[in-house]
Amino acid sequence: MAKQYDVLFRLLLLGDSGVGKTCLLCRFTDNEFHPSHISTIGVDFKMKTLEIDGIKVRIQIWDTAGQERYQTITKQYYRRAQGIFLVYDITSERSFQHIMKWASDVDEYAPEKVQKILVGNKSDEQEKRQVATEQGDKLAKAYGMDFFETSAFTNHNITESFTRLAELVLQANKKDLDLLGGSLNDELNLADLEEQEGLCNVSDDTRKSCWC
Amino acid sequence: MASAEIAAEHERILREIESTDTNCIGPTLRSVYDGQEHGLFMEKLEGRIRNHDREIEKMCNHHFQGFVDSITELLKVRGEAQKLKGQVTETNQKLQNDGKELLTSMNELRQCRVQQRNIATTIDKLTHCLPVLEMYSKLQEQMRAKRYYPALRTLEQLEESCLPQAGSYRFCTIMAENIPRLRTHIRDVSMSDLKDFLESIRKHSDKIGETAMKQAQVQIARDNAVTSQQRSASGRRIRKEGYGSTEVDRTGNNPFSEQDSGILDVDDEQEEEVPGAHDLVDFSPVYRCLHIYTVLGARDTFENYYRKQRRKQARLVLQPHSNMHETLEGYRRYFNQIVGFFVVEDHILHTTQGLVNRAYVEELWELALSKTIAALRTHSSYCTDPDLVLDLKNLIVLFADTLQGYGFPVNQLFDMLLEMRDQYGEILLKKWSQSFRQILDQDNYSPIPVVSPEEYQRITGQFPFQDPELDKMPFPKKLPFSEFVPKVYSQLKEFIYACLKYSEDLHLSSTEIDDMIRKSTNLLLTRTLSHCLQYAIKKKNVGLAELVQIIINTTHLEQSCHYLEEFISNITNVPPDTINATKLYGTSTFKDARHAAEEEIYTNLNQKIDQFLQLADYDWTAAQGGGQASDYLSDLIAFLCSTFAVFTHLPGKVAQTACMSACKHLSTSLLQLLLEADVRQVSMGALQQFNVDVKECERFARAGPVPGFQGDTLLLAFIDLRQLLDLFTQWDWSTYLADYGRPTCKYLRVNPHTALALLEKMKDTSRKNNMFAQFRKNERDKQKLIDTVVKQLRNLIASNQA
Repeated sequence: MAKQYDVLFRLLLLGDSGVGKTCLLCRFTDNEFHPSHISTIGVDFKMKTLEIDGIKVRIQIWDTAGQERYQTITKQYYRRAQGIFLVYDITSERSFQHIMKWASDVDEYAPEKVQKILVGNKSDEQEKRQVATEQGDKLAKAYGMDFFETSAFTNHNITESFTRLAELVLQANKKDLDLLGGSLNDELNLADLEEQEGLCNVSDDTRKSCWC
Repeated sequence: MASAEIAAEHERILREIESTDTNCIGPTLRSVYDGQEHGLFMEKLEGRIRNHDREIEKMCNHHFQGFVDSITELLKVRGEAQKLKGQVTETNQKLQNDGKELLTSMNELRQCRVQQRNIATTIDKLTHCLPVLEMYSKLQEQMRAKRYYPALRTLEQLEESCLPQAGSYRFCTIMAENIPRLRTHIRDVSMSDLKDFLESIRKHSDKIGETAMKQAQVQIARDNAVTSQQRSASGRRIRKEGYGSTEVDRTGNNPFSEQDSGILDVDDEQEEEVPGAHDLVDFSPVYRCLHIYTVLGARDTFENYYRKQRRKQARLVLQPHSNMHETLEGYRRYFNQIVGFFVVEDHILHTTQGLVNRAYVEELWELALSKTIAALRTHSSYCTDPDLVLDLKNLIVLFADTLQGYGFPVNQLFDMLLEMRDQYGEILLKKWSQSFRQILDQDNYSPIPVVSPEEYQRITGQFPFQDPELDKMPFPKKLPFSEFVPKVYSQLKEFIYACLKYSEDLHLSSTEIDDMIRKSTNLLLTRTLSHCLQYAIKKKNVGLAELVQIIINTTHLEQSCHYLEEFISNITNVPPDTINATKLYGTSTFKDARHAAEEEIYTNLNQKIDQFLQLADYDWTAAQGGGQASDYLSDLIAFLCSTFAVFTHLPGKVAQTACMSACKHLSTSLLQLLLEADVRQVSMGALQQFNVDVKECERFARAGPVPGFQGDTLLLAFIDLRQLLDLFTQWDWSTYLADYGRPTCKYLRVNPHTALALLEKMKDTSRKNNMFAQFRKNERDKQKLIDTVVKQLRNLIASNQA
C-alpha cells in the first residue's frame, strides 16, 4: 500500500474536563466549532496531514476524557504519544492549577523524550479571564515548554500551536536520524526508524501486564 | 280744353275751401301754387266774394224791422234780468249759509260709506289670502327647525289647495316659483344628512362591531356558566326595546374605545350592561330621509343610492390592511368593522319599510363572507406564531357567533377554521421542530445526576420513570437517561395541549377532537421528532457518547408512549379502547431512531478502524516477520478496548452487535489489504508478520471485550483469515485439495479463488529472483511446487464451475 505521507506522529491532548480539548481538535482538523456540552468518554482521535519543511507529516491526535473516572483508560495512551498538549481554560483557575498534576502524570507514563506545549484555551472570553497570560507563560518556562493562548471559538492560534508541536516532534526525530547517520529526506530510513521504535515499544510491552 | 279743366279744378278748390276746416287749408292752397294759374284763380275768388256780399245785403234788408223789435224787447229783459240776478244771488247766499252743516254731514256720511266698502272688500280679500300666508309662515318655521318632512306636507298643501284659492297675487306667484326650489333644498339637505349618517356609521362601524362582539361574548359567558358542560355556545343578540336616538359622542370619548375590550378574556369578563348598536348611532337621519324621498316620489332613487353607497362601504370594510396579519389587533379591527356594518344593516332591515330587504342583505353577506374568508386565508397563511393563530381562531369563533346571533349563516367560517387547523398544525410542527432541535443541541448526552430527593421527584414528575431499584439507591445517584428525555416528554404534552386549545369552541365532538389530536401527535412523533432525532444521530462529528446515550434515551421514551395515550384520553374524555380510535405510532419512531443510532455506532467504529488501517505499513517483501504486532494494529486494538470499556451502560445486545460488527469489518478489511491489486508480491515473511497481527485480533476477541458472548462466538469473525493463513503458513495444500467440498474439511472457509490470488502473488516473489534460480536448488524446487499447486487450484476451480 502506497503511503500518502512521509512520517506519522501521534499527539495527545490532556487537561481537565471542559477546557475545550475536543473543540480545539475539531477546529484544527475540520475547521468547525460546536458549542457542545458533550463530554468525551474514553478516547477518540482524528487525523490530519501537514507539510513541514517539505516533509508530509501525518498527525494522529488522540482526544482524551478529562473526567477522573476515565483516567485508567487514558493513561494507557501516554506511552505511545510523541507529543502532548497540556490544556487549561483561562476562565478556570482550577484547570490551570491542575496542569501540575497532568504534567506529573506525563513525566510518569509518557516516554522521556516526549515533546510538550502548554495551551490556555478560551482566549476570546476576556471578561471571564481568571488566569493571566503572564501566569501561563511563566509556568511554561518553568516546564521548558512553548506556550500558546488559543480560542477554538475564534480560531486563534490553533494551527500555530498544533504545527509547533509537530515541528518539535519532527526535530526530536531528526536528532535520532542524525545519530543513525541517515538523511532527513531518506524515506526508507524514516520507515526503518519507525519500525525500530515500534520494536522498542514492543519490548517494553512484554514486561508489563496486559493493558486492556 | 285746358282752360275748362283749369276752371273745374278751381271750382273744386273753392268748394273745398268753403267746406274744409281752416286747419287744412294749407295743403289746398299749396295745390293752387303748385299750378301756374293762381292769377286766374284770384279773379274767380273775387267774383264769388261779390256774390256773397249782395246776398248778405238782401237778407239784412229783409230782416231789419224784426231786428229793431227784438232790440227793444231785449232792453226790457235786461232790466228784469238785473233784478232776477240780485234775487238769485241773495237766495243762493242764504241757502249756502243755511245748508253748510248739512253739506258737511253729507260729505262725512259719504266718506264713511266709502271706507266701509273698502274695509269689507279688504276683509274679503284677506280672508282668501290668509290660509296661504299662514301656510307659508308655517313652512318657513318648519324649514328653520329642519323639520323637512312636515315641511314637505305643508308645501304640498300650499301648492295644491291654498294657492289656487288665493288668486293671482304677485306674492302668490312668487310663492309658487319658490316651491320647487324649496323642494330641491329639502331633498339636498336630506341627502346631505344621509351622507353624514353614512359617514357616521362608517366611522363608528368598528365601535358598533366591538360592542356587538362584546355582547356576544357576555352571552357566551352566561351560557357557559349555565351549561358548564356544554362545549359550544352560540351568541344571541340582546335587543333593547324601542329605538334610541342618542347621539354618538363625536369627541371620541366613548368609554369602550378607551378600554381594552378584553374580548378574548372570557373568564375575566365582568357581566355588565352593554349598550346596543342603536345607542351608539343616531338612525333618525335615515328614517327622515327615507320619508322625504318617499313623499318626493323619489324613493327608488333613495333606495338605489343608499344600497350603492353601502355596497361601496362594504367593499371598503372588507378590504383588510396589508399588514393585518402582523398582530391580533389588526384582525380585531377588521372583524369589528364587518360586524358593525352588518349590525347596522340588520337594524335598518328591521326598522324601515323596504329600504333594504332580506335578499339585499343576504347578497351583501355572501359577498362579505367570501371576501372575509379569502382575506383570512391569505393573511393567516403569513402567520408563523401559533399563539397568534390560536388567538385568531378564538376571535373568528367570536366573530362567527356574533353574526350568527343576528341571523347570518356562518358555516363557511367554521369550515375555514377547520382548514386553518391544518395550518395551525403545520405551524405547531415547525415550532416544536425548533424546540426539539434546541433540546437535542443543548443536551450533554450524559445521565442526569440527582443529588436530592426533591430533585429526584421533580424529574420523575416530569417524566413517568419508575425503577424500584434506583429508588432505593442512596443520593447522589444517576438517572439512566439524559436531560432531553424529560424535556421532550414535556414538550409532547405541551403540543397536545396546544392542539386541544385550537379545537375548543369549534363545536366538535369529543371523539373528533381526540381523533384530531392523535393524528397531529402522530405527525409530530413520526415526522418532526423523527427528523430531529435522525439529524442528531447523523450530523457530522457526532460522538460515540452521544449515540450511546440516544439509544438509552429512546428506549425510555418508547416506554413512555402508553402514558401519552392515557394523557390524551384524560384530556379528551374519550376512553382509550374506543372502537376505531386512532392510535399513537410513537413507539415506531423511537425504535427507528434507536436502530439508526446503532447503525451509526457501527459505522462510526468502522470508520475509526479504517483510519487505523490507513496507517498500515507492511513490507510485503520482507524476508522474515517480526515477533510483535504492527504498531498501527496495537493502537487499533487499544482503541477498541478503551471504547468498549466505556460502553458499560449500553444495552447488552447493542454492545455485542457493535463489537461483532467491528471485528467483522476489521477481518474483512485485513483480507482486502492482503489481496489489494497494488500489492503485487507477498513474501512468506510478510505473511508471518500479518499472521502475528491477526493473532493479536484473535486475542482481543478471545478476551471478551463485551460481556455476553458465548464461547468463541466473537472469534468466528476472524475464522476466514485464520484458516487462510494456516493453509499458507503450514503449506497444507494436500489436505485442502483432498478434502475440498467435504463438510469436515479443515479449511472449509477458504475460497479457492482467494487462495489462488494469494498464491499467484507468492509465485511472483519467487520469479523476481529468477536469474539466480539455477544456482539455488531450493528455490527451483519451491517454484515447481507453487506451479503445481497453482495448476491444481485452477483445475479445482474449473471442475467446480462445470
